Amino acid sequence: MSGAITFDNVSRFYGDVLGVNRVTLSIPPGITSLVGPNGSGKTTLMNLMTGLVRPTRGSIDVLGVSPQDPERLFKIVGYSTQFDSYPRGMTGFQFIQSYLRLFGMSANDAAAAAMRVIERVNLAEAANRKIAGYSKGMRQRIRLAQAIAHDPRVLVLDEPLNGLDPLVRSETIALFRAWAAEGRHVIVSSHVLHEVDSISDQVILLANGYVVAEGQIRGVRDEMREHPMQVVLRCTRANEMAARVFGADHVVEARLHADGGGLLIKTRDADKFYTMLNHIALDGFVIESVAPADDNVNSLYEYLIGGEEPTR
Amino acid sequence: MIGMWLSPIGSVVRLEMKKTFFSKRGLWVYLVALAPVAVMFLHSMVSLANGEERRALAAAHPTSAAALQSIMPGMTVDEVLERAGEPFDRVDLGRRGVFRYTDGRDAYNVNFFNNQVARVTTRTRDTIAYDSTIFATVFQFFYLRLAIFFGCVGVFTNLFRGELLDKSLHYYLLTPLRREVLVIGKYIAGLTATTVIFCTGTVLQIWALSLHFEKSEIADFLNADGWSHIAAYVGVTAAACLGYGSVFLAAGLLFKNPIIPAASVEVWESLNIFLPATLKKVSVIYYLQSLCPIVAQPDENMNRFLKLMINAAEPVSAPVAIIGLFVVTGLVLLLSGRLARRLEINYSTD
Amino acid sequence: MAVYKRTYTGYDGPLTPEWSRFLILPRANYRQLGQSKLLTILRMAAMFYPLGCIVWVYLANNLSVLSTVGFDVGQYIKVDTSLFLYFCWVQGAFAYIMTALVGPSLVSPDLVNNALPLYFARPFSRTEYVLGKLSVLGILLSTITWIPGLVVWIIQASLGGWDWTVANLWVAGSLFLGMTLWVLLLSLIALAVSAWVKWRIAAGALLLGIFVAGAGFGTAINQIVRTDYGSLVNLPEVMFTLWSQLFGLESTTGLPAEYAWATYVTVCAGCLWLLWRKVRAFEVVK
Repeated sequence: MSGAITFDNVSRFYGDVLGVNRVTLSIPPGITSLVGPNGSGKTTLMNLMTGLVRPTRGSIDVLGVSPQDPERLFKIVGYSTQFDSYPRGMTGFQFIQSYLRLFGMSANDAAAAAMRVIERVNLAEAANRKIAGYSKGMRQRIRLAQAIAHDPRVLVLDEPLNGLDPLVRSETIALFRAWAAEGRHVIVSSHVLHEVDSISDQVILLANGYVVAEGQIRGVRDEMREHPMQVVLRCTRANEMAARVFGADHVVEARLHADGGGLLIKTRDADKFYTMLNHIALDGFVIESVAPADDNVNSLYEYLIGGEEPTR
Repeated sequence: MIGMWLSPIGSVVRLEMKKTFFSKRGLWVYLVALAPVAVMFLHSMVSLANGEERRALAAAHPTSAAALQSIMPGMTVDEVLERAGEPFDRVDLGRRGVFRYTDGRDAYNVNFFNNQVARVTTRTRDTIAYDSTIFATVFQFFYLRLAIFFGCVGVFTNLFRGELLDKSLHYYLLTPLRREVLVIGKYIAGLTATTVIFCTGTVLQIWALSLHFEKSEIADFLNADGWSHIAAYVGVTAAACLGYGSVFLAAGLLFKNPIIPAASVEVWESLNIFLPATLKKVSVIYYLQSLCPIVAQPDENMNRFLKLMINAAEPVSAPVAIIGLFVVTGLVLLLSGRLARRLEINYSTD
Repeated sequence: MAVYKRTYTGYDGPLTPEWSRFLILPRANYRQLGQSKLLTILRMAAMFYPLGCIVWVYLANNLSVLSTVGFDVGQYIKVDTSLFLYFCWVQGAFAYIMTALVGPSLVSPDLVNNALPLYFARPFSRTEYVLGKLSVLGILLSTITWIPGLVVWIIQASLGGWDWTVANLWVAGSLFLGMTLWVLLLSLIALAVSAWVKWRIAAGALLLGIFVAGAGFGTAINQIVRTDYGSLVNLPEVMFTLWSQLFGLESTTGLPAEYAWATYVTVCAGCLWLLWRKVRAFEVVK
């Protein structure tokens, strides 16, 4: 069994509408975030890897299993969808138990496993209440419970942190990290960029159905040489500092902070910039801090797709 | 292999049975199945009341069936009175008049013109044979073609299309179930529900229709070919659910709006009589009508088109009909399995 | 500064007059319906019978032409009230099919998408909403029912002369009234079903069931109980009874006309009650 989830030149069209186009990816174990604005193709990508939709072109392989083989696929994959609808009249416990029975478990085994997973997502008290009466966060958690109930090796989670309160959110993120640490694939989509920024091992950026970048966040950033990197510099004599750095050909912009105590610098070559900064510091400037301003998903996103900013 | 499939099929059936039997949405199926029972019950009650009334009238105005049957056109009023005695009711319309008699069982109207008998009309008490024909007509025209047909449209198209509209089908598609297993599980659940509901309806109709007959008459009927007729009707009901069920399961998978194909199937089934022999066999009603124990005899006043609808087209033998039905069902289920394999979750476009 | 102070200015253009505001709904619906190929085909198909009637009327008024070429068919080709009665029957059937296609999607999408509060948050009343939705079907069905019917009558009147026109003015009235009654009945049932059954497909099935299964059930009652009153649940027969009365012909359904009228009024009242219950700015969620 292969150890990665691979997309080979995958395209999916809904009639004339583009879902995703020419996606070639290899997703290693760990937490991978799919980031992109509405309609960028995140859910389509997740539906493709779980066989809920079929590619118009190309092929997909999930740890050596085809998504068109549900018998094998869903023994190793758990998918928490965004669809907020459930079989009518079911309690949270019945929802998970009957789901597990579809895996061939006996009634008792399914009940025990269902209770275990419901406790794991902190829903034990509401287990015997009907899902129709659950809050948004509880429904999110019961979907998460459904996805992890059969202990899959690959977890596909579509906007899994939506509607969760801060405490549950941090617990859930801790769960993701624990699963990733066990060598599982955790694939998460989100609009809340700072969340995935802090938890992801790698990121896949999508726009208009295309993958615009993939890899580790820093790695992706390094590949974007044509885009200037931003550095925030807090220092004394910021005016003079601005004049000095602007003299270098790799610096494309230097903007003074409103308080006059620092500046934002955009450079095309981070290495040259830091070398230059060492020389400037020797000339009596007091540099309080130097920090990259855009080494996060959000700024990467702005670089890559311009005006189409994701929801924050 | 089969064992591997049985457990998940059982799980699907368990989940689906709740939905098909006890959902509020499905209440109308019970209504459609049981509506004819109410009509037949009403008929029996009216018939019983009429019987009571005739017996009371006969006690007050005694006469005999032999005397009444001996009244012939051309007889005078006096001759009639001499033979049959005083009627329980006289209607005088000048030159015309009517004497109404009953022997406690049948009703006789003796019509006079110029004081001579013009004609005698008899309204006989309903017999099991007559009611059997009525039942056969209603069963073939209303129950098979409309009640079971629309019931199956509702139940079987709902199995997939309903879940797509409810956005809940992914629940199944996220499990390690072969799509064919899902199709079979859902089909069995729908079939069980419709068979139980409509077979109960069939049995209750027969029961309701028999209420106004005496026990001895019913016993005679059952001892003759009654049981086999009842078994045949129940069997045809189940076969109808089997055949129509598979067709509408496939329609629910194939069409976004299964009502248009349902209406088309209804037209196809209705035009069955006009079709060439080969095409006739590609319909459910062809086999069902062949299995019915009594050839329906439509009422004279019945609409010509409706008469046509209950006419069986060159019936085939029961084994051929049953095998034919199973073959049609099997082929359609096979198609459904293939359609299910290509099924995608794309709720936004439904 | 609050955003609205910078960017928002209220609409101060001309308003649609209150009396015709309900016509906004058909306007929006027709844009959508115009894209349906099936509906276009159906509308074309619905014109064949009126065309046939026009040819019939022409031939009936030009029998001398036929007799000169050796066809003596005067006794068969004539224009009388039964021509218009069967016109109602045939075009009424097309109207029903069109209703089954269009009707289910009239109210249910608004209910499913919680659009009614949006309508009623504007100067738009429940009556105007129902009137607007009714006029979607009303206008559409009129184009295949009484309008072509009156065209046939007018052609006959132009060929039949002044005497025929004066003597048969009531036929035009009956045709208009009969077809309008049918259009109103179909529209009300379609709206009520669409409002009651949120699921568009189920609404379509119910509409099919009310007429087809109702007709079957009515016939079953007639067969079992040996009566004609079973036809009271057979709405096409109820309507045929009314048309027969309006055209002064004896009905073949066996239903007394007053029973047919009572059924008609009851069904319409029931539909209005259902609409009144469902079409409102809020929904009670249990």
